[in-house]
Amino acid sequence: MTTRIPQSYAARLMLGQVIKNRADVNKYSQEISTGLKVQNPGETRDAGTISQFQEMLGRIEGYSKRITSSTSMLTFQDDLLAQSTDIIARAKEVAAQASNDSNGPTIRSQMAAEVFQLRDQMVTIANTTYQGRYIFGGTDDDDPPYDAATYTAPAIGAASQRYVFDAEAGTDVQKNVQVTDDLSLTVTTQGNTLFDTTIQALERLGRSLEGYQTTLAAGVPTGAGVAYTFPTDFSLQSADIRAAMDQLDVGRQQQIMPERVSIGARIKRLETAESLLKLNKTSAEDVLAQMQNADVVESASNLTQAQTAFEASLQVTLRALNLSILDYI
Amino acid sequence: MTNYTSKIIGNAVSGIRSQQAMIANVGNNIANVNTPGYSRRTVNLESRAGAANGTGLNIGNGVQVGSIQRNVDQYLERQTRDVAAEAKSAETVSSFLERVDHLFSLNTEQQTVGNSLTSFFVAANDLSLNPASIELRQALLEKGEDLVGSISNTYNELANLQDEAGERIDAEISTVNSITTQIAGLNARIAGQEVSGGGANDEKDKRALLLKQLSEKISFSTIENSDGSISVALENGFTLVSGSTARNLSTTTTPSFGSGTLPQSLSGGVLSYIVYDYSNGAGTQQVDFTNFLKDQNGTIGGLLKVRGYVDPALATPSAFQADGHLVEIASRIEAITRTLLTSVNQTYLGPDRSAITAGHQPSSGDLNGAVPSTYGLFDFTFGGVKDTDVDGFPDDYGTHNLGNYSSLLTMAFTDPRRVAAARDATPLLATPSFAPGDGRNIAAIAGLRSQSLTFTAGTFSLTGTFDEAYQETVTTVSNKQSRADLDQSVSEAKLVSIENQREAVSGVSLEEEFTSLIGFQKSFEASARMVRTAQELLDTILQLI
Repeated sequence: MTTRIPQSYAARLMLGQVIKNRADVNKYSQEISTGLKVQNPGETRDAGTISQFQEMLGRIEGYSKRITSSTSMLTFQDDLLAQSTDIIARAKEVAAQASNDSNGPTIRSQMAAEVFQLRDQMVTIANTTYQGRYIFGGTDDDDPPYDAATYTAPAIGAASQRYVFDAEAGTDVQKNVQVTDDLSLTVTTQGNTLFDTTIQALERLGRSLEGYQTTLAAGVPTGAGVAYTFPTDFSLQSADIRAAMDQLDVGRQQQIMPERVSIGARIKRLETAESLLKLNKTSAEDVLAQMQNADVVESASNLTQAQTAFEASLQVTLRALNLSILDYI
Repeated sequence: MTNYTSKIIGNAVSGIRSQQAMIANVGNNIANVNTPGYSRRTVNLESRAGAANGTGLNIGNGVQVGSIQRNVDQYLERQTRDVAAEAKSAETVSSFLERVDHLFSLNTEQQTVGNSLTSFFVAANDLSLNPASIELRQALLEKGEDLVGSISNTYNELANLQDEAGERIDAEISTVNSITTQIAGLNARIAGQEVSGGGANDEKDKRALLLKQLSEKISFSTIENSDGSISVALENGFTLVSGSTARNLSTTTTPSFGSGTLPQSLSGGVLSYIVYDYSNGAGTQQVDFTNFLKDQNGTIGGLLKVRGYVDPALATPSAFQADGHLVEIASRIEAITRTLLTSVNQTYLGPDRSAITAGHQPSSGDLNGAVPSTYGLFDFTFGGVKDTDVDGFPDDYGTHNLGNYSSLLTMAFTDPRRVAAARDATPLLATPSFAPGDGRNIAAIAGLRSQSLTFTAGTFSLTGTFDEAYQETVTTVSNKQSRADLDQSVSEAKLVSIENQREAVSGVSLEEEFTSLIGFQKSFEASARMVRTAQELLDTILQLI
């Protein structure tokens, strides 16, 4: 038996088709305009995974930003240390010249001025700020790590100047950066472990040239020391100059050079971490794109199909509902 | 001796009258082609009974209208109602969840709890590199405000939806009552007309339509009584309509059965009960139908599935112990809030400075050198004592007797200098001191992102990271929505198919009616011609005289 198709049935059937096709047209137009196939969790089975990858991308973005700033911070320190080795080299030249016994106390004292300038440059390097913060001050980075003090003799002049590392709370705590999920890196170094030996050596050299002893002769100067009595102390002065030269070498070889090597290694690690992050980022973006992004070409062809279907269903509805037995009787 | 001429005329007239009835019926069908609930009628003709003549030959006595029949298939009617109830329930659930869906949008341009969490932890990590920077401190506070804002927005939206579901339940219950009262009234009229012999087809159509409307609200079964009335009973046997009496359902927060502590809603109000009064006029004797109706179909079933229900027997029914889709999602948000208030605040305080002094001595500090208070980073709006046990640690939730913390969550301060980024630099001294460039404390906060923490609220519990907690929430929302969509499309397809079947039996087809009309017209003409023939016969006989 043929099923009866009453008017209401036919109209509803047609209307259902029209509505469905209209919804398809809307869906594909939206896909193209937003570029997203999935906007809300209800539209996919992978909502949790999408959310996870989005979170991962957000995190990677944060990490990349920090890698960039950490790298520039380390590179900046490396540049500073390179300058400090130049200063040491120049100081050694002066010392080598002065240590020659043919130069008497007067000529030696004329050379002292340059050495004190070199020392001041060294202190400036140790007291450098990066983005407004003293980079060698550890976490106590709001005031200069090297403070000015004085020697007992002489009372005035560059030779009376002394610089000591301030040991406020926090200088011994170094800044760590969580670079990636697995990599945490120290990005600062306490200033006294880098510059103390060199600054003291420069001070001792300057003072010797100027004609003053430094107590202690080796190790950390206490701020005391008396003038040499010439000619008795001439050989002592020469010995002090040579000792200061040796100390400069110690500063360069045992403090500054190892730090430069370490900084180089840390920059390298950051580079590795960055390239890994980029890989992670690319793969996360790929997965996200597959799960969430609309393929514009596919959406466009779907849209064309949906439009055709929509128009066809409108035409068919118009014709079918226009058919009436009344036209024939 | 039989008068055949009068018989010819009599039969022809009966034919004319019957065909007119048929045509009138076609007219009625055509007129009602768009009337909702109308069932096509057909006129059943029957030959008129008459006595045999003296010779034993019976020519017959013409035709008469036997009955006017409504073309309905009771089985299909019932199935239509069942499927309509199912479809309405699914549609209601789906429409509510659709409004939840956008709160957990996967479009990264929209602010959600998920991307606020990510931004907050990224900002904390940024600050750890340069803790003295006021801009970075400000950025952290802003991300914190975003997080707090998106949590309370999401939670409040869920709470509003729950309230809305509650209000709609009230409205639907009063619609149900109005429909059952109308059915009871129609029952009375149908029974009256059936007794007096008249078929109450119009009333039955009207009642069928009302039953269909009722089925969109609630699940029920019907029994047709011998007097033509229909009894409507819920699936648990309680009757809504019995003959000409209707019994009302009602919503109340003060039921006669004594509910103990009232179940709470997400917004801090109470969830109402749906009750049935089974007393016979003597006092009020209500029985709780809420849980029963929740498992049923129709709009009310759907709304209850969305809104949720708490067993009143539970000692302290919190809003999160209710079942229901909205509550399940809100519990997850609340769990994230509670972990922010406890674990994050606890980490923010830093380790205890002194094991000797009672209570927790914070070892973290801000740029002003001050240590944070118990709820130092994330706080909640509450006038009472927050640290009830005075141990310096955030309290367990529940001790403040608050419905929820999500809508009360705030950042503890707005001054960027007050972010306690540093840890104590002199742990051995009596008073702590803090270096401005120290970011160890804020680094510890940033590190919480990847730590496994406990998230609980009501019946929900999860051990994992913040991201995992949020992803679990998104997955829950997604699964619920996909499931609801599927339910809706399946039940709608079923409804369309069953309604089409019903239409095939009961709907009016204009083609059919007009084709019948032509046939009836021709029959009418033929009957009329018979009268003329009889007249000619009489004329012939008269001419013989």
